[in-house]
Amino acid sequence: MAGFFQKIRVGSGSSKADSNASPKNKKDEPAPELTPLDKMLQNAGPLREDGSDKFFGLENFGNTCYCNSIVQALYYSEPFRENVVNYPLLTPSDTPNGKLRKVNVTIRPPAAPNGNAAAPAKGGKGITGSQALKARQALNGSHQLPPIGQAVRPEDRPDSPEYKKKQAMIKGPVLELAQENPDAYGMQECTFTGLKDIFTALIESNDRTGVLSPQRFLDIFKRDNEMFRNSMHQDAHEFYGLVLNDVIANVEANAKALQEKGEIGNKDGLVQSVEKALGASSPIMKGLNASGARTPGTGWVHDIFEGVLTSETKCLTCETASQRDETFLDLSIDLEEHSSVTSCLRKFSAEEMLCERNKFHCDHCGGLQEAEKRMKIKKLPKVLALHLKRFKYTEDYSRLQKLFHRVVYPYHLRMFNTTDDAEDPDRMYELYAVVVHIGGNAYHGHYVSVIKTKDRGWLLFDDEMVEPVDKHFVRNFFGDKPGMACAYVLFYQEVTFEKVREEMDAEGLEEVRLASQKADIALGAEPVNGTTNGPPTLSRLNTQPVSPVEDHDSLATLTHVKSAPGDISNGLTTTSPVQLSSPVKNHPVPATSPSATSVTIAADKASGIPPVPPLPDVPPTPISPSKAKEDKVRDKKELKAQEKARKAAEKEQAKIAEKEKAEKLAKAREANRAEHELLQKTIQESKQMAADDEKRRKKEAADEARDRSPVAFLSRGSKSMSRKSFAFLGKTDREKEKEKNKEAEREKERLARSDTAPPELLNGTGGGGSTTSHSPIRTMTTDRTETSSSSVPPKSDEDAHEGRTLKGRFSFGLKRKKSGKFLS
Amino acid sequence: MDFRSVLPPPPRYPAAGTYNAGLGVNQVIPMIETNNVLTTPSGPEYQFLVGEGLYVLKEDLHLATPPPHPSEAPVVNPNPLATTPQPATAGTKLSLLALDVRPLPPAFYRVASRSGGVQQSIQEHPDEGKSSTTEGRGSSSDAGGAVRNVNSSDLPSHSPSAPAFGEGNALLAPPAIKDANKRRKPKNNMTKSNSSFISRVIVHETLGKKLQERPADGLFAFANINRAFQWIDLASTNKAEYLTKILFTKAHCLCHDVNRLTKSLSHIDVIMGFSTGEIIWWDPISQRYTRLNKNGIINGTPVSEIRWIPGSEHLFMAAHMDGSLVVYDKEKEDAIFAAEEDGAPSQQQPQPPQYSPTNGETNGANGVVNHSSHIQVTKSVHSKNQKTNPVAVWKLSNHRINAFAFSPDNRHLAVVSEDGSLRIIDYLKEQLLDLFYSYYGGLTCVCWSPDGKYVLTGGQDDLISIWCPSESALIARCQGHHSWVTSVAFDPWRCDDKNYRFGSVGEDCRICLWDFSVGMLHRPKAASVRQRASVSSRFTSLQRENTGTSRVRSDSNLSAGEADGDGVFPHAVSSRASTPILPPVLSKTVDADPLCWLEFTQDAIITSCKSGHVRTWNRPSDTSPQVEEEQKAES
Repeated sequence: MAGFFQKIRVGSGSSKADSNASPKNKKDEPAPELTPLDKMLQNAGPLREDGSDKFFGLENFGNTCYCNSIVQALYYSEPFRENVVNYPLLTPSDTPNGKLRKVNVTIRPPAAPNGNAAAPAKGGKGITGSQALKARQALNGSHQLPPIGQAVRPEDRPDSPEYKKKQAMIKGPVLELAQENPDAYGMQECTFTGLKDIFTALIESNDRTGVLSPQRFLDIFKRDNEMFRNSMHQDAHEFYGLVLNDVIANVEANAKALQEKGEIGNKDGLVQSVEKALGASSPIMKGLNASGARTPGTGWVHDIFEGVLTSETKCLTCETASQRDETFLDLSIDLEEHSSVTSCLRKFSAEEMLCERNKFHCDHCGGLQEAEKRMKIKKLPKVLALHLKRFKYTEDYSRLQKLFHRVVYPYHLRMFNTTDDAEDPDRMYELYAVVVHIGGNAYHGHYVSVIKTKDRGWLLFDDEMVEPVDKHFVRNFFGDKPGMACAYVLFYQEVTFEKVREEMDAEGLEEVRLASQKADIALGAEPVNGTTNGPPTLSRLNTQPVSPVEDHDSLATLTHVKSAPGDISNGLTTTSPVQLSSPVKNHPVPATSPSATSVTIAADKASGIPPVPPLPDVPPTPISPSKAKEDKVRDKKELKAQEKARKAAEKEQAKIAEKEKAEKLAKAREANRAEHELLQKTIQESKQMAADDEKRRKKEAADEARDRSPVAFLSRGSKSMSRKSFAFLGKTDREKEKEKNKEAEREKERLARSDTAPPELLNGTGGGGSTTSHSPIRTMTTDRTETSSSSVPPKSDEDAHEGRTLKGRFSFGLKRKKSGKFLS
Repeated sequence: MDFRSVLPPPPRYPAAGTYNAGLGVNQVIPMIETNNVLTTPSGPEYQFLVGEGLYVLKEDLHLATPPPHPSEAPVVNPNPLATTPQPATAGTKLSLLALDVRPLPPAFYRVASRSGGVQQSIQEHPDEGKSSTTEGRGSSSDAGGAVRNVNSSDLPSHSPSAPAFGEGNALLAPPAIKDANKRRKPKNNMTKSNSSFISRVIVHETLGKKLQERPADGLFAFANINRAFQWIDLASTNKAEYLTKILFTKAHCLCHDVNRLTKSLSHIDVIMGFSTGEIIWWDPISQRYTRLNKNGIINGTPVSEIRWIPGSEHLFMAAHMDGSLVVYDKEKEDAIFAAEEDGAPSQQQPQPPQYSPTNGETNGANGVVNHSSHIQVTKSVHSKNQKTNPVAVWKLSNHRINAFAFSPDNRHLAVVSEDGSLRIIDYLKEQLLDLFYSYYGGLTCVCWSPDGKYVLTGGQDDLISIWCPSESALIARCQGHHSWVTSVAFDPWRCDDKNYRFGSVGEDCRICLWDFSVGMLHRPKAASVRQRASVSSRFTSLQRENTGTSRVRSDSNLSAGEADGDGVFPHAVSSRASTPILPPVLSKTVDADPLCWLEFTQDAIITSCKSGHVRTWNRPSDTSPQVEEEQKAES
């Protein structure tokens, strides 16, 4: 069963043999389609070493989106990722085989349909005894395929995030990082090693896309941080701070330990690594053993995230100014309605009066005095994390309330609030990640992150789902759009002006494409030959969707063919061995067939670059005389597929060709010919119209003449104006009323639902963010209740009453469901 | 009333709110499209005090914001993460038009184009205003510089030093018009149109009468707000009543402009640019229109800014979001546009070498287009193929152009883009003169000082930057807005040759007023070093340069001729420490929603906001008697 799904994944739905093998399944669960991400990565080059082209979703096991969004943002911070992966530097003795030790990754076999996935999953893994994990897996397995004949649920709608997440899980590979990885890097297992495991696993993965389960990382983190030891909604910013602090503490502790060791067996590399961790330039290295303390500003984590704030306090009594430096890993800035991040930062550094209860103890005057305080930035960090304080404690409600202020943030930033002696005060930053909070208050909601990746533009990371988005999407979270999605943490990284210019030039092209796409949407049609005099009929709208379908077809075929010639690096190896052995049919043997070249060309074409069209009649080169018959048949199929791909690509190209100059010129010539005719026609038309106009004017004049006094006329005129315009809307009103009622009903329904949320929803929440079918859950509820770490309440009808008593907790557990509501 | 029968069925509007729905905006969002509402709120929050006196809100005209057309899929996508692209919007933009001849604001650019430099000081003392104003009026006819104030009956005429755009190309010569008041009208009847592009047109029942009865000196206002376009008479007793309102089906009207040269009681040329890339030429008096760039045949990207070329009756320029500037002729037919490359056109139509598309093309062939050293002329105004639109096409970069402005001497063009660039272009010679960059973030708006010496830009760095193109320098950065700046304008009534007053509005709902005088600015050392004599001479020499050298110039960017480094642009971004910072003389929240436009009139400042409020702030009353006196003295 597991193998079957792998096959589908590899074949991307184009291989007929597979889909024929299971017609029943195909009906209710079509083979996973190419996601926009896959499409984007169609012609991606070889895998990069640095992991900058790995786009994995992170599994959500109930309210862990705060973790996922932050981990993603950290992963795509290049300096941080590099340092995490490369620390501690391993000495030759640590790598006996001359190879780096691999992270202990298990690939979870894809779940089989009909809910009996638990068994194979368990067998395939068999390493961890974690019941929570098992439970989760059962859950995942169960809801991946809905039982046949059920009504369409939100996660079954292909455009819903639930569906996409589910597909991502089905598609896999799902990397498990659940088991202990003790002593992996000569370190105690800690937050740092957990993070390092995740990063390393992603980098080492042979797939570009998939899902990673950060279970172990979270387990460790929760072990060390009591506050997070529940399944409630957590604050992503708080999590970010704790993770960074943990990482710093872990790395330093390790460095110290290593150093003690290192003093005995003085290894160069090791010392370097330790020095790097502790800050080579600092005098601490010498006096470490004596003091055991560290100065701020040392170590690579500090190098990346740490800045220095100077608070200048001026006593108003004696005019003495005192300065105090403090380090920061992020800046929490207060928000104002209709402001910009720039302005909020400036306000952050604005002068502040210390008076009344807040008086300042002046050493000079000796006593509490009124004073003026100012915070300025003395050292700018490489990565600037800005925490927008969207959650404000209000006494009225005695709870944290979310501020929906519109706060705009630019793609680039420089800081105005630096001290005079700051180094490089004009440092330019670029926005590279936005952590978005969706929801009405601090206790509910969902986190996603929008991240700018190297060469691949902006991507939306929503738990398991990864989707490319355009640059403008980043600006959807100023806080004023409906849907309660607001930017919560902004990550800026330092950049040079030249690099920005370069990138801008590249981006521009993309933007042009999008702009015209938008125009097309508004226009309802693609710009066709313009000589047609008719209006852009709305029916043309219908022609629009045709092209994407074509597009998809061609692309789907392409992947299939492309991955065919034994391209190991292209995503076939990582998955289960079953997949490698059984679906031979999918893998044509030819290594040097012309298909490979023509296919790549076709692929190029599909990606929008109009290349030289391949010769349509390239004969299939006989590959080997010893070919089996099936092989030939298969080859034929292959060729057909190729042909199809080529044709599709050609169609694609034909579209592109429209823009091509040659054709344009031809058309222009044609247009010139038609011009004369048109002119005549128009002249006639306009004459006709002028006549009509004249008639109308006369009639109007007559109407006007009929009116009595000008005053009465004026007032009447205005009245009838409005009446008329309302008359136009008369029907509208009624229909609107209806709609309103419906809306109200829906609202009521929604409220009712969220108040007395059925317990099974809650369980779905706890599992993977989707609703679940009944049977498998019941089997696992017992497991769940047994697990100590999971506080997901027990479910099912019998437990309904208990569920009600647990309502308080439910409201927290609910939040993902809530978010799901506006997501769907 | 018969025409109403052919209109599409009345739209059904979704109940969902429009801009900022339910987010603490203190006015009620109309559930259905309503009429405009005129209110006159008063109180301390509706006035602001500046050095010259108290500005008081005269009135608040709320333009009805049209909800989306029913044929547009209900865009109420509950998923805040939905990635479907949304049509471009541009808030509320207005343009004001007076049909009568009015005195020029005292500091208006007049003489520089004739003499090549600013001749005299203007209005050092209020008493001088009289003479200078009269002079300004006299010169307006030949300078062509007073773009907005040209007498309606003036024929296009050009000052000797500022030739008309496209002069020398006989194919572009305007057809002889016998009677100035008999102008060519657009070809289609708006009210009878059954084009699916236009959803509904509501013309005031007594439009003709209203037009006849209104005072001659009253202001008309044209406003685009989302998919609606309104024509309002600000002189009317009932301002809220529009003269005409057009609702478009899907396309959003993003910008428009009125031709100041051809305006008359019987004819007004309005052009509108749309989110679909299309352009409509409309005469509100005869209610006729013509569609240009239909279905985006010439350029399919949204039009972010559109302006009549000063001094031209036919030609206008549109900034498309793909970074190209396209010149259209309102009366020409569209034709599929193919870039005129070096090869083909030179065979068919030999051109003087200086006009052949220069480096842009050659580089383009290599796949490398360096947008920072020149503009890519894909079709020159001097092309011999002028039967159809477009008249000229220039590609500036691949980034969305946010705004552009013509210099008062009708020679230069300042263009700002989303990539943060400010380009100064000699549009007559089709060459790039200079390229600057914002401190950070995109630039959103641009304007010239009335004397043409300075350029203002506002951007996403919350700053207004004052540039001096003739010195190739950044003069100052103005810090005072709390969010992105959306519009800047000079107040010509409070400018003279040394002191300038300008205003700005932004997303922070604030208006800022600024006083700037060159002598007053503290100039840090680093900044003064940058301006060498060679630089300042460069700009003027470029002005004098004949076009024959254009090729040489763009080729020699790095050659010995300009090896002093100053000739190479883009200029490095000036550091904060080396740039003077200018504080505002006033910063005041004047609306509940982000503002998007402001303009100064003789007796008021007018602002508009995203949700459609147009607010008129009367100038301090103590100065108005003086103005009246001046006017009396004139007549």
